[in-house]
Amino acid sequence: MVIRDINLALIIALTALLLLVPLTGDRFYIYITSLFMIYSLFALSYNLLFGYAGLLSFGHAMFFAVGAYTTALFTLKVLRDPLAGLVVGVLSSIPVALVVGFLTLRHTRVYFAILTLAFGMLVYALLVKWRSVTGGTDGLIGIPKRGVVIDISSPTAYYLFILTFFTITTIGLYLFIKSRWGLLVRALGANEDRLPFTGRSPLFIRLYTFLVSGLTASLSGSLYAIFMGVVTPDIAYWTFSAEPLVMTLLGGASYYLGPVLGAFTFIILTTILARYAEYWLLLLGLAVIAIVIGFRGGLGGMLVSTFYTVRERSGVWIRWRYSRLKI
Amino acid sequence: MDLNAFLVQFIIGLYKGSFYWLLAVGLTLIFGVTRIINFAHAAFFVTGGYLMYTFYSYTGSFILSLVLSSIATGLLGALSEVILIRRVYRLEPIYQLLLTFGIALVVNELQKILWGKFPKYLSIPDYLKGYISTGGVNISYYSLTIIILGFLVFLSVYAIINMSLWGLRVRAVWRDRTMAQILRINPHAVYTSTFFLGTALAGLGGSLMIALHPVGPGLGDHLIIYAFIVVVITGLGNIVGAYITSLLIGVVSSLATWLLPEVDVLIVYSIAALVLLVRPEGLFGER
Repeated sequence: MVIRDINLALIIALTALLLLVPLTGDRFYIYITSLFMIYSLFALSYNLLFGYAGLLSFGHAMFFAVGAYTTALFTLKVLRDPLAGLVVGVLSSIPVALVVGFLTLRHTRVYFAILTLAFGMLVYALLVKWRSVTGGTDGLIGIPKRGVVIDISSPTAYYLFILTFFTITTIGLYLFIKSRWGLLVRALGANEDRLPFTGRSPLFIRLYTFLVSGLTASLSGSLYAIFMGVVTPDIAYWTFSAEPLVMTLLGGASYYLGPVLGAFTFIILTTILARYAEYWLLLLGLAVIAIVIGFRGGLGGMLVSTFYTVRERSGVWIRWRYSRLKI
Repeated sequence: MDLNAFLVQFIIGLYKGSFYWLLAVGLTLIFGVTRIINFAHAAFFVTGGYLMYTFYSYTGSFILSLVLSSIATGLLGALSEVILIRRVYRLEPIYQLLLTFGIALVVNELQKILWGKFPKYLSIPDYLKGYISTGGVNISYYSLTIIILGFLVFLSVYAIINMSLWGLRVRAVWRDRTMAQILRINPHAVYTSTFFLGTALAGLGGSLMIALHPVGPGLGDHLIIYAFIVVVITGLGNIVGAYITSLLIGVVSSLATWLLPEVDVLIVYSIAALVLLVRPEGLFGER
């Protein structure tokens, strides 16, 4: 079987590469790569709204936090098992996505951005104030990795656990974007005014996009809770919602794998910069300004244009057997 | 319910609301004229507080530093428009929002570098330290000053927009930019001066706040949410509405803190959600 789809080919290649990481046996590499996969999922879910549906959300951390806290509460109070906690955590985003989506999705652009910001902060306020359940600013600790059904307490085991979900979700989201449903989402992002001519309701399309995006974000939140063993309200604060946005922009919002590239760069940058530079947020801000003014295609766009330049300059024309990178 | 305690909370609400107003007025003006939501606005508010601290330590005069820091903050806002924001007017709103978000990050971090990580605080000048006591209710001169100043700012902004020649130009650009250009109004001059006025008022707010509440990193992140809520409830681009809503939110949040301390923050958000559900265009917005 030959895979002609460049994005699928890249995902498979990436999975193969990620499978090699535990072989190094270095805990730091395993830790960083696990974090990279979790952030990638978060950024991918974000880009579904931002890059494809054209909705700028400033409250995406709400799904991440709801997933993480539900997983934490379920494993601590009901059933001590990471897998069951994960499933419940992911499902918990459905009511949130439907309620918040119904209230906010009638608005677009700037209004949507402000509204999601307000709802995100509402979740944050709830997590801080409802001390008896959420532990307030201290958060919840002791989320188990060893459970009744599965045991992922060794670093390699939880790495593979995360990798499984990473690969399945990345492929699943890609197939969603490529499907007829995804086509409608892309149509909505491309031209909001003409979409009603297809006879479909923009609100309905936005709602299911919001739902799929929310499910993925809460999956990354649940994985994060199990991975860290601790959840604190910081993951619901609005500045945390800005992180997937920065990752998406860094990698390139118009490429499916842009957010993954962005998450990789973001993790590398923040790990290195935070060690050496006290004021790394300054550099982050400068990067955002530079991207908006200079390279709105992000790193993905730069790589692709470099590829074309090299191909043109070198005169070597290898036949491109794959589909286009951009969908 | 204790009437005196109620009155005290009401006054606290009014001056809290006056701060929200000083922040929301610039946001509203800038959005009305340039169609840009300025995420960096609260960062400039905080900058105003820090500048006040510095000017006060050099000049020793409260009023002089107040004026200087407002003007300096306004100039910084105008500078951000001339250097950066001007480049993105033609882009999609998403990128405009992102740019101002980037500016907010940079301004916040520069503040930490210049003024350190610990909050700064000034004491209230002696001539504003007293209280008025009426029927067991103490109202400090300073909170009264803030409420009156907020009202004066409201009156003058209203007058400038509706009565001056500059205000006429602003309203022209606000309504129809192309038509205004045909009438030889330079929109860039209007944009830059709007940014100056809006950020100068935010700077004034920050400068007044530092004598009541320590100004430090993270304050801007918190305030911008309230300013956005005011703007959302009002409906973007209505000065009178923004003033009323600011005071309303101030009073409601301080009464909520007093009566229901467990859920005070939630109440403000719930009101915002409710208003949007019933009137998506905002209380004072026009469809």
